Amino acid sequence: MNDFARASVISASGMQAQADRLRHVSENIANADTPGYHRKTVSFQSVVERGRASGEVTSGPVRLDQSALAQIYDPGHPMADETGHYAGSNVDLVIEIADAREAQRSYDANLKLFDQSRQMSRALLELLRR
Amino acid sequence: MFSKIEIFDMARGLLGHSAARQSVIAQNMANADTPGFRARDMAAFSDSYRVAEPDLRPTRPGHIMGGGDATAPARLHDSPGRSAPNGNTVSLENEMIRALDVSRQHEMALSVYRSSLNILRSSLGRQ
Repeated sequence: MNDFARASVISASGMQAQADRLRHVSENIANADTPGYHRKTVSFQSVVERGRASGEVTSGPVRLDQSALAQIYDPGHPMADETGHYAGSNVDLVIEIADAREAQRSYDANLKLFDQSRQMSRALLELLRR
Repeated sequence: MFSKIEIFDMARGLLGHSAARQSVIAQNMANADTPGFRARDMAAFSDSYRVAEPDLRPTRPGHIMGGGDATAPARLHDSPGRSAPNGNTVSLENEMIRALDVSRQHEMALSVYRSSLNILRSSLGRQ
């Protein structure tokens, strides 16, 4: 595989990983009001092929954030205990939005590099014309 | 006959160098959020081009050669950068600058190659 193809594959793996992260962020936001929901977090890891790092990246296993769930006071809620509280989710919208922004920024950077690799290889092929 | 013209060799070396460096930068970018990943970079072309020229000849199998040809892969080294709390040293901004540098380098090599080709062509009496 030549260098440009390799660079494109690596950039694409970066975009894939960031998109995966964004998907989990949107899942968290969608479930911000689900009682008992633990927010999902996903970590990144390098891909290892035949004993050495190939340079690609992939998203690791999904983990649940084990911090305490928010206690919401609502005596009329069917899940409320005798004190009138029920366990909500531990999703913090501010954190999720910040995470989404960061994922988008990294995605853009990878996309830009993908585009640059494409342009460079096209410029190389231009030499053959004429 | 034409493969030994120095300027073509150099342009080809620069093209190969910029392509390889592009893929190193792509690795850094893709791993911008991987915990513990250390950003890497290649030695500059000016440093690696002359070094790669073989001055010494291996006479025994155990001898280690410095390079071979001008397109030999330059060694990767850690590029300094502040590390994030998770041990990652990639800075997207630095990588952007490097990517720009690479594309400029690539364009320059292509221009050199093309204009040398034009000189050859006109010396053959064709336009």
